Amino acid sequence: MSDEISEHPDRPQRGQVLFAALFLICATLLIAALGDQTKWLKGKDFFSQPRFWPAIGVGGMVVFSTLHFWHLPRKPRRLPRWMREADWLQWAESLFWGVLALGLSLWLGPVAAAPMVLLVATIRVTWLYQHWTDRREAKVWASVFEWAGWFLAYVLLVPIIGYLPVTVAFTAILTWRVGYRDRIMMWSAILFAIVVVIIFKSFLQVKIPGAALYEYLPGALRSFFILNF
Amino acid sequence: MDLLFDFLTQVQASTSYLARWDVVLALLVGSVGGVLIGAIPGVGPAVAIAILLPATFSMDPIVGLTVLLGIYGSSMYGGSIPAILINTPGTAVNALTTYDGYPMTTRGEARRALSLAYSSSFFGGLFSVMCLIFFAPVLARVAPMFGSREIFLAALLGIILVVTAHRKHTLIAAAMACFGIWLNTIGLHPASYSKRYTFDQSWLSGGVNLIVVVLGLFALSQAFTLLHGDDEKVRLTRLKGSFFQGFRELARHPRIAGVSASFGVIMGMIPGVGEFTAQFMSYTYAQKSSKRPEDFGHGSSEGLIAAETANNAVPAAAMVPLLALGIPGEALTAMMLSVFYVHNVIPGPQLFQNDMDFVVALYLALLVLNVLVVIFLLVATNQLIKVVKIPNRFLGVCILILSFVGVYSLRNSLTDCILAAGFGVFGFIMKRMQLPVVPIVLGMVLGGIMEVKLRSAMARVKSPLDFIDRPIAAILFGMIVLVLALHFRRVWLDYKERKTDEWQTSHASTSFAAILSRRRNFILTERGKTLRAKRKTFSRRLTGRD
Repeated sequence: MSDEISEHPDRPQRGQVLFAALFLICATLLIAALGDQTKWLKGKDFFSQPRFWPAIGVGGMVVFSTLHFWHLPRKPRRLPRWMREADWLQWAESLFWGVLALGLSLWLGPVAAAPMVLLVATIRVTWLYQHWTDRREAKVWASVFEWAGWFLAYVLLVPIIGYLPVTVAFTAILTWRVGYRDRIMMWSAILFAIVVVIIFKSFLQVKIPGAALYEYLPGALRSFFILNF
Repeated sequence: MDLLFDFLTQVQASTSYLARWDVVLALLVGSVGGVLIGAIPGVGPAVAIAILLPATFSMDPIVGLTVLLGIYGSSMYGGSIPAILINTPGTAVNALTTYDGYPMTTRGEARRALSLAYSSSFFGGLFSVMCLIFFAPVLARVAPMFGSREIFLAALLGIILVVTAHRKHTLIAAAMACFGIWLNTIGLHPASYSKRYTFDQSWLSGGVNLIVVVLGLFALSQAFTLLHGDDEKVRLTRLKGSFFQGFRELARHPRIAGVSASFGVIMGMIPGVGEFTAQFMSYTYAQKSSKRPEDFGHGSSEGLIAAETANNAVPAAAMVPLLALGIPGEALTAMMLSVFYVHNVIPGPQLFQNDMDFVVALYLALLVLNVLVVIFLLVATNQLIKVVKIPNRFLGVCILILSFVGVYSLRNSLTDCILAAGFGVFGFIMKRMQLPVVPIVLGMVLGGIMEVKLRSAMARVKSPLDFIDRPIAAILFGMIVLVLALHFRRVWLDYKERKTDEWQTSHASTSFAAILSRRRNFILTERGKTLRAKRKTFSRRLTGRD
C-alpha cells in the first residue's frame, strides 16, 4: 500500500510543475498564517504548545514541497526574443527581488517577510517553467468539478425529496449522462439504486434523515417512508 | 508450556465472541463481499472499507471489524482473478500476479493459474494467522513495555518508513505526510482548548474528520477517475474443470511458499512497509533460488506462488502494530482504527493485557474467513468472473452513490460532503499525477498519536537522553537512525549513479564543438556582429575586415 507509486517510476510530467507550485503556494500561505491562527502560551512546555504540531506540519509542507519543486525535471519557457536579449531586464529583476525582500523585511519583519518572498518567487518560477501540457492538464482537473457538482446536488436534494427517489433519479440520470443509454443499463442502474437504499436505509438503518417531502404523505405511509426510505 | 496452556484457554474463551449469528453473518458478508470487490478492477478494498466504515459504527466492535477485516483479507483473493484472466490487477497488490498469471492464461492454463493463486493465497493467509495466534501471548508480554515515549518513537518510525518506502518520490511523500499532520491539528487543541487554523469558522472548530478525508481521497476520487476515463473491452476465457489441482502443485514448492509467507508476516508487522515489499522480496528470492529463473515473468508457477502467498500473509500481520501499539501501518488499518475509537476500545498494550480474548477472536475470525473464501472461490469462480465485465463508468456512478452513504450518514452534515468532494478532487489530481495519497491518511492518524504521546512523555523527561534511556526506546531510536542513514546512503548512491550515467552518455568534445559551431554561426550573422560590437564597449570596434 505504501509503495503505491513504485509501480510507476516514470510518472507523467504533465501538470507536475503546476501541482507542485499550487501546493507550495498553499503551504506558504498557511505558514504565513501560523502566528495568527495558533497561540503560544506562556509558561507551557515547548512540546505542549498549541503551535508546536501545526508548525511541524506546515513547516514540513513548505520545506519538502520546495525541495520537490526544485527537483522536478523542468524546461524553461521560451521567452520572446526581446526579453532574452534585454540585459536591463535581468538587472531590473535582480533589483526587484532585492527591493522586495528588503522592503518586506523592514515593513513586516524578516520572519513574516520570508513566506511572502517565497510566495512571489514560486509564482515567478512557475510562470517561467510552466508548459502548455500543464495548462491542458489544468483543464482536465477543472472538468472533474462537474462530477463533484453532481455529488453535491445529490447531497442537497436527499433531505428535501427523499433518499429513495433521489437515489433512483440520480443513478438513472448519471448513467444516461456517462453514455449508457440502452434499456439494460438503465434498469440495472435503477435496480442498483433500490438495492442500495434497502440495504443501507431499511436494513442497516444508517443515519439518513427523512425527507421534507415525505411529510405530505398520508398517515402510516409517511412514517413507513421516513423510517425505511 | 504455560504459554501454550494460556493460549488454548484464550482460544476457548474467544470462541464465545465468534459463536454469534451477527458475527457469522459479518464473516459471510465480509468474505464474499471482499472477493467481489477485489474481482472488480477499479474498486479495491480501500474504497469499500471507506464507504462501509460509518455503517459499521452502529455495530458491535467485533462485528464491524469482522466485516472490514473480511473485505481486507479476501479482496486479494478476488483481485487475482482479473490479474490472471485479463492482465488487469483487481487490487493494486495483485500487480505482480499479472507477471506470471497472465502468460499462463495466454498459453491456455488459466484454470491452473487461478487454482495456484487461490491455494497460495490460502496458504499465506493461514500461515500468517497461525503465526500470530501462537505469537499473541509473547506479544501480550512485550506490549506493556511500550510507554508513551516508545509509542511516540514507533509512530515516528512508522511515518519515516511510509515516506522512505516511496522510493524516488520521498520528497512529495514527506510533504503529504506533513499535510496529514497539519490536517489533524485543525480545530481545538485538546490540552489548552485554543483554536488552531479554524479561520474563525465554526465548522472547522471540530476539526477535519478522518473518515471524510478517507472517503474523499479513496472513494470519491476513484469515482471521479472512473467517470472521467473510458471503458475497457474485456474478453474472458472459459474455465472448465475443478480448482483443486493448485493445492497439489503448491505442495511441491513448500520452501517458496514458506519463505514467501514468512516475508509477508515480517513485512506486514513493520508499519509502512506492507505487501509490495513482501512481494518484491519473495519474488526475488523465488527467482534466485529457482532452477528455471528464466521462466519468471513468462508464466512461472513459482513466481505466482511467491507473489500470492506473500500478499495474503500481510493482512493478519498488519493488525499486530494496530492491536498491540495502536499504530496503523497503512491506510486500511488506519481506517479500522476509527472503528475502535468510536466504540471507545483503545487498541494498544492495555487491549492485549485486559482483552486478549478479543484479539484472539479477531485472529480466529481471519482464520475462518480464509476457509470461507476458498470454499466460495472453488465453487463460484465461473459465475464470479462475470463481474469483471461491469463497465468502468457505471462503476464510477455506483461508487459516487455509495460514497454519499459513507459521508452523509456520519453526521448528516453538508459541510462534510463539501469537504469530501474537495478531497475527492484533490485525490483525483494526485491519482492523475501518480503521487501518493496514503501518507496523508497516515500523517493524520500517526500525527495525532505522536502529539498526544510526546506531550505525556516529555512530562517525565529532564534531558534529551532521558527520552531513550529505556531499552525499547533506545532500540526504536536506533532503528530510526538506521532507516534514515540507509535512506540517505541510497539517495547518495542514486545521485552518483545518475551523474555517472550523465557523464557516460554525454560526449564532451562533440558538445563543445557544437557550442563553438553555434557561436561561430551566430557571430557571422549581421545581427551577431552588431550585438557583439555593442556589448564589447571597451574592446576594439569591428571593422569591415572582421
